[in-house]
Parts: sequence; C-alpha cells; structure tokens
Amino acid sequence: MEKLSSIGQLEWFRNKILSRRQEGIIEVHVCMTGCRAYGAAGVLEALNDEVKSQGLSKQVEVRATGCHGFCAKAPVVAIEPMGVQYQEVEPDDAGEIVVKTLKENQLIDRLAYHTPKTFQPVFYRNQIPFYAKQERRVLANCGRIDPTNIEHYIAAGGYQALIKALSKMAPEQVIDEVQAAKLRGRGGAGFPTGLKWKFARQSEGRPKYVVCNADEGDPGAFMDRAILEGDPHAVVEGMLLGAYAMGSEYGFIYVREEYPIAIEHLNIAIAQANELGLLGENILGSGFNFDLSLRLGAGAFVCGEETALMASIEGQRGMPRARPPFPAQAGIDGKPTNINNVETWANVPLIVKKGAGWYGEVGTADSRGTKIFSLAGKVNNTGLVEVPIGTTVKEVIYDIGGGIPKGRQFKAVQMGGPAGGCVPAQFLNLSIDYDTVQRIGAIMGSGGMVVMDENNCMVEIARFFLSFTQSESCGKCAPCRLGTTQLLEILTRITLGEGRMEDIDTIRELGNTLTEASLCGLGQACPKPALSTLKYFLKEYEDHIKEHRCAGAVCDSMVISACQHACPAGIDVPNYVAAVADGEYERSVDIIRERNPFPAVCGRICIHPCEYKCRRGELDQPVAIRALKRVASDWYFKNIGPQRDPFPVIRKQKIAVVGAGPAGLTCAYFLAKMGYQTTVFEAQPVAGGMLGIAVPEFRLPRQVIEEEIQYIENCGVEIRYNSPIDAKHTFNDLLNEGYSAVFIAAGAQASKRIGIPGEDENLEGLYYGLDFLSKVRMGQQVPLNGKTVVIGGGNVAVDVARTALRSGAQDVQIFCLEPRDEMPAWEKDVEEAIEEGIVINPEASPSDITQEGGRITGIEFTHCVCVFDDEGCFNPTCDLEDTRVVEADNIIISIGQAADMSFLSADSQLERALWGALVVNTNTLATNVPGVFAGGDFTTGPTFVIRAISSGRRAAIAINKYLTGDDSPVYIPDEKSVRHTATKLALAEETTEDQPRIEVEFEDAKERVCDFREVEKGFTEQEACREATRCLRCDLEKEENGI
Amino acid sequence: MQPPEIDLTKLDAIIDRHKTGKWQLIPLLQDVQETFGYVPPETIEPIAQALNLFPSQVQGVVTFYSGFSLKPKGKYVCRVCRGTACHVKGSRSILRLMKQELGLEEGETSPDYQFTLETVACLGACFLAPTMMINRDYFGKLSPTKMTSVLGEYRKKGSE
Repeated sequence: MEKLSSIGQLEWFRNKILSRRQEGIIEVHVCMTGCRAYGAAGVLEALNDEVKSQGLSKQVEVRATGCHGFCAKAPVVAIEPMGVQYQEVEPDDAGEIVVKTLKENQLIDRLAYHTPKTFQPVFYRNQIPFYAKQERRVLANCGRIDPTNIEHYIAAGGYQALIKALSKMAPEQVIDEVQAAKLRGRGGAGFPTGLKWKFARQSEGRPKYVVCNADEGDPGAFMDRAILEGDPHAVVEGMLLGAYAMGSEYGFIYVREEYPIAIEHLNIAIAQANELGLLGENILGSGFNFDLSLRLGAGAFVCGEETALMASIEGQRGMPRARPPFPAQAGIDGKPTNINNVETWANVPLIVKKGAGWYGEVGTADSRGTKIFSLAGKVNNTGLVEVPIGTTVKEVIYDIGGGIPKGRQFKAVQMGGPAGGCVPAQFLNLSIDYDTVQRIGAIMGSGGMVVMDENNCMVEIARFFLSFTQSESCGKCAPCRLGTTQLLEILTRITLGEGRMEDIDTIRELGNTLTEASLCGLGQACPKPALSTLKYFLKEYEDHIKEHRCAGAVCDSMVISACQHACPAGIDVPNYVAAVADGEYERSVDIIRERNPFPAVCGRICIHPCEYKCRRGELDQPVAIRALKRVASDWYFKNIGPQRDPFPVIRKQKIAVVGAGPAGLTCAYFLAKMGYQTTVFEAQPVAGGMLGIAVPEFRLPRQVIEEEIQYIENCGVEIRYNSPIDAKHTFNDLLNEGYSAVFIAAGAQASKRIGIPGEDENLEGLYYGLDFLSKVRMGQQVPLNGKTVVIGGGNVAVDVARTALRSGAQDVQIFCLEPRDEMPAWEKDVEEAIEEGIVINPEASPSDITQEGGRITGIEFTHCVCVFDDEGCFNPTCDLEDTRVVEADNIIISIGQAADMSFLSADSQLERALWGALVVNTNTLATNVPGVFAGGDFTTGPTFVIRAISSGRRAAIAINKYLTGDDSPVYIPDEKSVRHTATKLALAEETTEDQPRIEVEFEDAKERVCDFREVEKGFTEQEACREATRCLRCDLEKEENGI
Repeated sequence: MQPPEIDLTKLDAIIDRHKTGKWQLIPLLQDVQETFGYVPPETIEPIAQALNLFPSQVQGVVTFYSGFSLKPKGKYVCRVCRGTACHVKGSRSILRLMKQELGLEEGETSPDYQFTLETVACLGACFLAPTMMINRDYFGKLSPTKMTSVLGEYRKKGSE
C-alpha cells in the first residue's frame, strides 16, 4: 500500500476500496478470535475449501473476523447481508452451509439458536434474544471486518474521526467534545476522561506520552481482548485523536503477554497504519507526528495499575508509587503521561465522528454511552454484551444472558473482579452505573460479570479472590503485603472448618486497614470481595464457623457428598440410593429413618434440595432421589407395614410436644428413640399438621400420612387428639404436670389477609386458602360453581386451584403479583396445574372486590410492575392506570400463612420479638423459659416439610442435652450410616452410552381432574434400579483418596 | 534427564536487537524467554552489562514477573486457568486431575522436560470455562474425559 500524504488521498483511497466492493456479494463472517479455542480455524478452512469446490469464489467471501459476542455458542458464523447467524458450527457443516444456505437460500435448523422453553429456531441475529437488548456501538465492527486488513476498517468508516479532527478541530475542541460526551474511564475507576486529558494538555513537560492500558488482568474479564483482536484500529485511531488533543508524539500500548492473538493483530494493525502513513511523521500532511509501539506485559496483575504499568514500561519491577504526582503531571520518565483503558480509547473515534450529542443519547445522566460486559460463570449465554449504562442487572443476566442453567437459583453476580464485590439477588433491579454499584459495595469495574448460583460457596469465593490478590501483591507496602496474607489465612481456615467467631470482626478490621492504608488500588480494593460477601451472606460465614455447614456444598472439609449436605436433615443419600439399586428396600428405609421418620411423605412432596446439588446433574440430569425414596417406602409399607415394637423407655423424664405436625412428630420420634416417654398434644382429631390440611389428596394421599403416623405411634409415641394447648391448658400447666420439657411445634396455619376494599370474610363465595383446603380434606362440601379466582403465586395457591378444579369449579384462574417465571410456587406443580387447564394470570395485584347482596360478583386487578424494590424488599409497585375487572363467582385468597399465636395467652412469659414472633435460640431452639423449646413452621414461618423435620430432630437433640445437663452447642455434622453399602454404581461400569434420567409417569391430565387420585405414578422396581445406578457415589471419593 | 542444550551465541543477536532504544530490558528478556524457553541465569550478567544496569537490577526484574523463569520449562507448557469464571465452573477438579495425570505440582516440570504444569490467573476465555492453554493453543469447556484426550494427543506428539 502506498503512503498517503494528505487527507484527500485518504478519501480517494477509501472511495477506491468501496468501489471495489461488488454488489450482491455474500460475506461469511467466521470469528477467528475467541472461537479459535473451539475449533474455528477448522471451520474457516472447511468453508473456504467448500466455496472453492462449489465454484462460488466470485460470489462469496469467507472472512476471518473478530468476536460476534455470543461466545457460549462458539464457533459462530454469520452470513451477510442475509443477517443469518449459525452457531456451534463444525468443519463438517461447511458443505451443507455452502450448498443449502448460500446457494439455495435455505436455512439449516440444527445450526440455529433455539429458544430455551419452546425450542423454536431463530435464524436471524437481530431476533436472537441475546442481541435484542444490546446496543453494539463500540463492538459494531467486531465480527464484521477482518481485523488484519486496514482496508476493512477504512471501508467501514474508520479514520474519519481523525480526518475531522485534523482538518476541522483544534486540539482543545477535541477535548471539549470528549468532555461534553461525559465519557468516563472504562477501566474501572470511572474518572472523567475529558478532564484527565485536559490535565495532560495543561502540563508543561515534553515529550508527552499517551498509553493504552491493555493489561486486562481481571479474572473473568475479556472485553478488551475482543476489541484488540477484533477491531484494533479503533484503539489506534482513539490514541491518535488523544495524542493530537493533548500534544503527545509517543504512544504505547501495554498489552499482557497472555493475549497472543491480540498481540499479533495489534502488530499487524500498527504496521499497516505505518505503511499508509497514518502513524509516523507528518500524518496526512498535517504536521502532526505520532509514533505508536507495543510493550508486552510479563505476567504481573499489578501492572494494570497505572503507576506500576509505567514502571514496567521503563523496564523496572512493576511496583506502584504514591500519587501525587499524577501521571498527567509526571508519568513515564517524569513526563506528562495520559493512560486510558482499551474500551475508553475505542469510544473516542465514535465521539469525535458522531458528536457528543449522539453519544449521550444512551446512558444515565452522569455516565453516558454504553459499557461492554463480559458475562461468564453460571449463566446460559456467556459472552460479550454491550448495553447502555443504566441497564439493570436482571436484564443483563436474564433477558440477555438467558438466566441460570439447569433451573438453579441465582445467588450473586461478582462485578469488578478482585477489586469488586458481590451483588446478591435482592439487587436484581439495580440499574448498572458507576455510582449505583459503588453504593452497594461493589464496583462496575472493567466489566467482568461472573454469575454464581446456589451451588457456589460465597466464603470460598472470597477466599479465592484473596488467594489471587495475595499472590499478585507486589509486596512494596506493608498493609497489602501482610494484610492479604492474613486475610487469606483466615478465610482458608474458615473453609477448612477451623473458623472462629472472632474471625468475622478481624476480617472487617483488616479490610478497613487495607482500604485506608494501602499504596495502590490493588491493596485498597482487594478486601472488597470478602467485605461484600460478609455483608450480604453473613449467615454463610456463621454457618461455616458454628455449624460446619456450607450452603453451596463446596468446602470439602465439611461435605461428604453434596446431596447429604444439602439435605436439611442430613440424610445419608448415597447409601440409601445404593440400597435401592440392590433392591434392599428395607435397608434403604432404615437409613432414611436415621434422620427422617417420614420417608413416604417426603418421597412424594419433598422439595429435594439434594437433587439441585447432585453432581450427576453436572453431567446430564440429577439422580431422581425423591422418586427413589418413594419406591423404597411404598415397598416398605406394602410388605412390612407400620407394625414394630416400641422403643424401650430408659429415661425417667417425660416430654410434651405441642402439635402433631411433621416437626412435632419428628421430635417425638427421636426422643422416643433416645428412650424418653413422649406425649404429643394435638388440637385436631387427626394428626399430620399441614400435611393433612394443606397438601391436597392428589399429591399426598391420606393413607400414606396415616401409615407413617401409625409407625411413629408404634414406636412408643403417645398422641392425644382433640387436646389443644390454649388458655385452658397452658404449657406452664404441662410443666407443672411433670413434663420436664415442652416442644412447641404448632405450625403456621393462620391465613394472611390482603387488606383491600371489599375483603369481607362474611361474603358468600370468599374463602381463604388454607381454610378451604382443610374443609375439603375433612370431606366437607364447598359449593364452588362458576368462575373461581385464586389469588396467590405460591405452592398453597396452586394446590388450592387444583383442588378447586376437583371440587366442582368449572373454570379456575390464578392471579399472582409475580411475572410467570418468578412465581414462588414449585415449577413442577405450576406445569401440572397448567396441564389440567388452569389459567395463570401473572403481574396482577388485587385492588377491589365487588359484591352484590352479600355475594361476590367480581374483582379488580391492577398491573403489578415490580414486586421487589431496589433494595430487594417486598414493595409491589403497580400501574394504577392499568386495571381490569374480572367477573367471578368465587374468590379464594391464598397469599401466605403465618403462625397463629393466639393460643399462647398474652401475658405468658415467652419472649417475643417486636413483630410478635417467638424468639428462639437458632442452635438449640430454646425459648427464654427453661425447658420450653419451639420450632418448625411455628418459628420460621411456612417452609418446606424437610426443614420442619430437621427442626424437630434438632429440638430432640437439644432437649436431650438440656435434660442431661450438657450445655455444649448442638452440632449436627454429616455422618455416614453404619449400614454402609460399597456398591460403586455408575462408576462400576465403563459405558459410553447415554444414561439420561428416567422420568416418572403421570396420570392423564384430562382424567385426573375428575377425582383426587394421586397424580404422580412413581417408579417401577425395574426403573428404580436403573435410575439408582446412575449415582456417582461421591461419598466414596474421599475414602478412595485416603481422606 | 538433562535439560535441552541451549546455544548461548544466540544471546548476542538478541542483545544487538535491543541495545539501542529506550527501556529495552523487559522486551529483551521476553526475547530471551521466547528463544531459550527460559532466562538462563548465566545470561543475566551479559545483559546487565549491555544495558548498563547492575546484575541485581536485572535479577530483580526477572524474579518479579511470573512470565520469566530461571529454570528451563518443558516442551509443552500447560497453563490451567484459575480465573473466577473457570473457578466457578469447576477448574479445581481439572487442576487436580492434571496434577494426577502428569504427576506434577504447580510450577514443576517433568523429568523428561516434556511437560510443565502452571496455573494462570485468567486467560480471557471465560466464556469457555473451564479452560486450559498448552503453549499457544486454547482448550475450553473442559471435562475430565476431554482433558485426558487432549493430554494424550500431546503425549503422542511429544514422542514423535
């Protein structure tokens, strides 16, 4: 290429390039930067070969480009001008792409993106949800042009900004434009770029330097990499403009050596720019000189800090120094230096070319423009995302990112790398900009967003970041050098189960010292991950220290197998699954009963936290643990039944339990097992608590509950029915009657009221959920004809709706506040309800109930825009203009339950919290009255049955300690069952065949609504055996390694 | 086994390339690292002399940056990424497996100088977590089986 010596010549050159572009040529863009790691080179070659062999070389151009952004689906191939995007392309697909799509204009289904729920193919890039909310300004050229050919950049409008500046703008005007655009540094600190440039311009020293910080060291960040590899000239042009504005003649791009492709493309870009005379002396005849060269990092994260970076350029150890003087006054070699991040530089040509006005059309008031985020971790659509500043966290992670894989729960997103903090679920509605994120203890940082789900441990994440910063600390200043080591040691101890409660305050103290006293940003910011996780996940730290529990089931020292650890009751899951595989159902139930006396109930309705942590689920799908439990217990009750000998009574104390629900009966069972005489006082004529009242017959048949209760009674537990504990017979009376301890497990059975106009309990046709379910269960008739509206989005509401359908209501519709995918109800139940014909109306907030002559006629709903506020508190906001009135004959309100404290007389000594709930010690479940304990739904509010069961067992252990004078804390670690089966299950056979999870069968949807038959059919013995052998026996891993 | 022999006469050419020009110490060392696979300790004094620095200054720079090694590395340098995204997606078990398969701890080189095992803070390929780099090639979405097959290929390559 010939050197261009004037602006006019550049324009001539550009015109020639554009004219050479033929009409109607098809371009195939193959990403050859990030996608190379997934075989893109082979795809490129195959496509080239295929085009040639099909004789299409004149009509088709196969181009190696930069990043398309949708990295999760690498390798990505885009076809223009059709706008088609194919993904996960393999070299073998080349033939079909060329012949079918390029030649015959046919689209290939299996190479297209498919929407997750409906599996519909989306062929056109601008329709793919991942791209819909993005605004790709800085990344506009990435994925379209060949970054190794400067002509492409020029043809796409490149270097027009440079021309504009050199011909029409004085250097100060360039700075003014950048200031007007309110561009803030994209490297993390967010300092106003224009202002920084002004300082550099005003400095006296010569020569002046401009530097590009391309040392993207933040783990989890790869935005700069994509720009450098996919559109390097954007950075070159940006630096040219900056140098012109500030009066600099020398520029350095400091790029980390771990980015070989970026280095290669930058070298090519600089060489080509030099060749054309866009770099060097007398650029385009303007008299402006600019020499740009590369400097490679040598593997030190701290060199991303500007003073350390400058030291590194000077060939020294990369250690930061104090500021002032700031680089703008005295930088490299003591001369004025301006350092900006890659993305900041890449924004500059856009600002100069299109003006600050255009630039400011997106963004927030203080932070204009777009920001590129690298989305990674536990999210479906990992890749590069460019959105206007001010987009919410939820939009990035769910709308663009496609949510969390495998239906797991979002836990937190780490923003800003090791200098940033964790943003937990309560802040999903936060709009992302420099200031909002800082307020909650994180930083927007360079743009790395690493998503974490329920299977990550926040303590371990904090430790992970500290281990990184500790090893990268340069060692110059004591706070950082010593502080990081100490913090790391403390966090490591906590993950090893050796933490102490004082550690929490120590972490805070050390963190503050580091923040205040460290020399540079690395030390100042490195405590942030620890401090922010401590702030939002304090319970996890405390659980690690006090109870040796790891919420993510990650910390090896506390976890034998993730499933057992996830179970609130700590059931030895792998063992009983292995017993099922061997057909030893009695042994399986025995193992379960060591922690849980309700195997048959849980086998039907447990929320199975174990399955969400099942490691098999990482491979394909989790083992169907709950269904296996059901097979074993059904067999047990069919072949052995509830008979058994009672436990021997070996203690003299007797204990009273209030409430024969799951918590109360579990407590009684374990107390009996320990040899105590236990009596359960139940107000109702039947036992079972919520199980019998609220869970419908079609999910949990009455017979199953009765058999389990009979078994517990046969163990020696006495249940007195129709014996309420209330003002006539108080718990004090119980203590006086000779009971040495009392466990109150009265459940949470009072229905919550909404509190809207027209909500009159006496209205005909108005019911409350729990009340309604209880009546139906008792066999009472509830007249429900016509249209039935159910209000609520939780499990009880869904059960209510399905029960209503079976009780004569012809038309049942659910109305809830939440959007469909945020309904708190168990997804499985919601889907079964929809199958049965129930209509779900999300985002509806009830506002007024209408009646006529004492009978319901209808109900008005307003559109609920948002359920939780910025801080994550329950604070529904509604659009009062958007209302609709729905005709209804019956309304069943099912918005939640609370504990009914009315049975405790008002002056009882039991200590209550401000809001009326009972205060209990979380470890021992003891109240302030000696000998009186409380637990289950009664103290926690409505929760899952397995939690109530584990609460009951904890109470039994605590009561036993109390009665034997043992005041050590209750400690319930995971334990292996004595009856240990050594079957290796899945690992025993080498098989390359797929072994997907066996799905349980259901009764036909149309037929099952006619009565209350059990909806889920359960496994056959054969199916159970096959499913159980999928278990990986994670519990044996440690034994094998001699731990 | 003895580390592969190095031709120290190449050093002169490297020094010549970087003798003039400002602040050339790090680019020079990078050149040496690239050519010999490490920075042989015996090169420190000639480099110091050529650039008019104290040997201790050169030593200081070599030991500060993890990109420089004073010990020879293997033919295939395996860098397992320990970045956040990879960590969140299970890089710990990949590293554990690599250690088992190669029989090496982090930073160690195999006695036959075929493999070196290292960890790196972040490779910038987070969307393909967990990742690993062997020399200049990236491998993403690693699973235990994939990892073993990749290693197997390199073992074969090495013995050819």
